[in-house]
Amino acid sequence: MQNVAIADQIDELHDPQTFITKYIWSQDHKVIAIQYGLTAIFVGLIALALSGLMRLQLGFPDAFDFINPSDYLQFVTMHGMIMVIYLLTALLLGGFGNYLIPLMIGARDMVFPFLNMLSYWFYLVSVIVLLTSFFVPGGPTGAGWTLYPPQAILPGTPGYDWGIILMLVSLAIFIVAFTMGGLNYVTTVLQARTHGMTLMRMPLTIWGIFTATVLGLLAFPALLVSAIMMMLDKTLGTSFFMPALVSLGENLDYSGGSPILFQHLFWFFGHPEVYIVALPAFGMVSDVLATHARKSIFGYRMMVWAIVVIGGLSFFVWAHHMYVSGMDPAFGFFFATTTLIIAVPTAIKVYNWVLTLWKGNIQLTVPMLFAIGFIFTFTHGGLTGLFLGNVTIDLPLSDTYFVVAHFHMVMGVSPIMVLFAAIYHWYPLLTGKMFDERLGKIHFWFTFLGTYAIYLPMHYLGFLGVPRRYFAMGSMDFIPDSAQTLNQSITISALIVGFSQLIFLYNVFVSLRNGKPAGHNPWGATSLEWQTPDVPPRHGNWGPKLPQVYRWAYDYGVPGAKEDFIPQNHPVTDSERTAGEHDA
Amino acid sequence: MTIETDTSTTYTDPGVDGMVSDWSSDRQTFDLPWGKLMMWIFLLSDTFIFSVFLTGYMNVRLSQTATWPNTSEVFALEIAGTHLPLILIAIMTFVLITSSGTMAMAVNFAYNGDRRKTAILMGATALLGASFVGMQAFEWTKLIGEGVRPWGNPMGSPQFGAAFFMITGFHGLHVTAGVIYLSIVARKVARGDYEKKGYAIVEITGLYWHFVDLVWVFIFAFFYLW
Amino acid sequence: MSETSGQQHPVGVYLKVWILLFVLSTFSYMVDFFHLEGYLRWTLILIFMFLKAGFIIAIFMHVAWERLALKYVLFVPLSAIAILILLMAIEGDYTFLTRETFFDQ
Ligand code: HEM
Ligand SMILES: [Cu+2]
Repeated sequence: MQNVAIADQIDELHDPQTFITKYIWSQDHKVIAIQYGLTAIFVGLIALALSGLMRLQLGFPDAFDFINPSDYLQFVTMHGMIMVIYLLTALLLGGFGNYLIPLMIGARDMVFPFLNMLSYWFYLVSVIVLLTSFFVPGGPTGAGWTLYPPQAILPGTPGYDWGIILMLVSLAIFIVAFTMGGLNYVTTVLQARTHGMTLMRMPLTIWGIFTATVLGLLAFPALLVSAIMMMLDKTLGTSFFMPALVSLGENLDYSGGSPILFQHLFWFFGHPEVYIVALPAFGMVSDVLATHARKSIFGYRMMVWAIVVIGGLSFFVWAHHMYVSGMDPAFGFFFATTTLIIAVPTAIKVYNWVLTLWKGNIQLTVPMLFAIGFIFTFTHGGLTGLFLGNVTIDLPLSDTYFVVAHFHMVMGVSPIMVLFAAIYHWYPLLTGKMFDERLGKIHFWFTFLGTYAIYLPMHYLGFLGVPRRYFAMGSMDFIPDSAQTLNQSITISALIVGFSQLIFLYNVFVSLRNGKPAGHNPWGATSLEWQTPDVPPRHGNWGPKLPQVYRWAYDYGVPGAKEDFIPQNHPVTDSERTAGEHDA
Repeated sequence: MTIETDTSTTYTDPGVDGMVSDWSSDRQTFDLPWGKLMMWIFLLSDTFIFSVFLTGYMNVRLSQTATWPNTSEVFALEIAGTHLPLILIAIMTFVLITSSGTMAMAVNFAYNGDRRKTAILMGATALLGASFVGMQAFEWTKLIGEGVRPWGNPMGSPQFGAAFFMITGFHGLHVTAGVIYLSIVARKVARGDYEKKGYAIVEITGLYWHFVDLVWVFIFAFFYLW
Repeated sequence: MSETSGQQHPVGVYLKVWILLFVLSTFSYMVDFFHLEGYLRWTLILIFMFLKAGFIIAIFMHVAWERLALKYVLFVPLSAIAILILLMAIEGDYTFLTRETFFDQ
């Protein structure tokens, strides 16, 4: 049992001395988390700006002649890829995973801090490579975030030369970074928990992050391999994904490859990826809801199993993205079935969130508002997912704005809602300061209502048949003129939502200085990260002695307790014990 | 929900009961050093990488209308006047298996505290690995000389060269990385760097090395014998 | 980790497995050497392959002596790969058939 003991020895950690070792080449998981977080938010803002440009074009075609059709494709692609990979995956796992795992399970740090640091630096390199592609000849790739060959690497698609190469290289580096971080997260959760911290006492946040990381470690290989194969097709002229074809009137040298294979491999990664961003969000929102409703989470065990089952099943549903691809038609039945099965544990989670609120002592704090907002947006996005999971309903809706609306609700807006909830919730711990409550509420209402103003009409546009990834609709008979009015209103809403994020940035940065001191545990939360001796926690987290855990993370509103919550590191009292016997 | 239990596991219960008690323990789930568990999880992830490579190869090969070259002949050699199909590949297979054997022995000696033998056996493993890479380089040169390229070849389907260079190349990179890894660890073992920390590192290195051998078993069956 | 919990086993086991791996490799080479074809070829190749892989994993990588918990961690995820392989085999055949039907090369 000696390897457990390492976690107890504080002298194993070398306290960093200089500014550089403390904030730049830092091996402290909290600093790495913040580095990850700031970088991710920075690229996220770029992606947001790109979406603004796209919306300008869609709302007011012809008004902005600096946006031409190939620019538009590049914006779509970079927006989608950055949002999914470089913002959400990095912020949820690299940012929140890094910050919360050691603190919530009572460890001093990740098990391999040096590797953890490398992970961030590789991530930074991948971001730099990605952004470089804006400045190379031809610009970034415009192949769509799905990067489907043959078009991704053939003339006619913007960025078919440098752009796509840099994109693939950047993804490969990102995967290396993720693997280094992910191995750390998984091993830390499995092997470095504190005394009394069993898996079934871990907060759901950790369960979500842990399962998502496992998914990442098993799903990213498919993306890596398809990136390598596409790279060979592009640079060496192999034909893995390239059939014999004629492009721009020219017979190409490719022959015999299978484009469908790429789609399968991409979605073998891509669908689990959806859950890589969803599961951490599921976990964090559960904790925010319980804390701010002052009530234990409803059905903890069911919640844990739902996370694990969703994670497992997510590897068996991938081809529901390919109903119109020309794959073996028999697959439709298989994948529609598995897709509808995965809806069951997902629905269980939604019921349990709602039941957690039921008769709770709900505090409408800013994190809570965002968490409740998430329940709405996620339910909406989930319901349209049921439409798209069925082959016959998907066929007419595929590649329309209905799909755009669906995935933005379910994997765009929903995780973002949770990210805001989480940032507001843990801000006092990270900084020791409170943010401005009023500004936070304004930010919430703009974001939440704005989301609906943007995406609800898109469902309708999708029913009309408006195709996605189109620069302009032109004059198509089946699209009434009023669709354009709708598009304008969507654009205006999107711009308002975009700019309202400035309120958030202002709040976060100004409160660093002007915020009220938060003190210990301002929300009255039970989980360990709020029980550190210092706020914000210092290097090594726990002072001389690791905490001892006696209970689960959801003892809110315990009858007979002094306060309305009991932290995880408080021993079980006699009165509780007798009460427990009565229950049994 | 507040029942106090002493949950530290002893890792002695067998079977499913034991699995349940392992998973419900506090502090750690597995009775393994951190590095070893991490290596196992990495290898699982790497298994997915190689599986996807091989699956991709299988898919393009199955969908071929062009003929696939006969590997048995492509990889044949004339040795002392006799024509031996696949002989180089067979030798490479034996070399890799031998190296797995020396590696396994190295782990054994490491836990027995015999530093010298451990280092020597690891060195031997690395040498065998290096000679494997050497033979692979020879094979590549030979094929390139016969006009096989990643984008095409005179014998038939262009995917043959593509899959060949990609899969053996990626495996070869793993072997090369393994040789470097082995050499570093062997040197440190010889110097006595692990006297305090213990010799789990040798076992961890061994896991990686056996994995590389394991992958070759599948490549041999699916690429060369199909 | 106490010293005894490292994986230590009698040398004899390793030597036997080592020899066995040589023999199995020779067998699979023989399958090709004697030009066995069809189902016989594939049955033999797969049997030898899985036996070799099994021995490497079980003995050299010590999985036979690991706890059941670890075995599950290592093998359950492979079900995803199994499905991928199965479906990609079906898909490959389907692509082949459509090519045969719609293009004549
Ligand atoms: C205010 C916020 C956002 C706005 C206004 C917005 C707007 C858009 C627009 C206009 C498109 C292109 C539709 C088309 O032409 O097909 C798009 C595509 C996309 N967006 Fe967003 N988006 C936002 C946030 C997000 C977030 C948070 C995510 C994270 C998952 C996301 C992921 C994607 C993806 C994956 C695509 C598809 C890219 C492609 O087709 O290749 N978006 N978005
Ligand atoms: Cu999906």
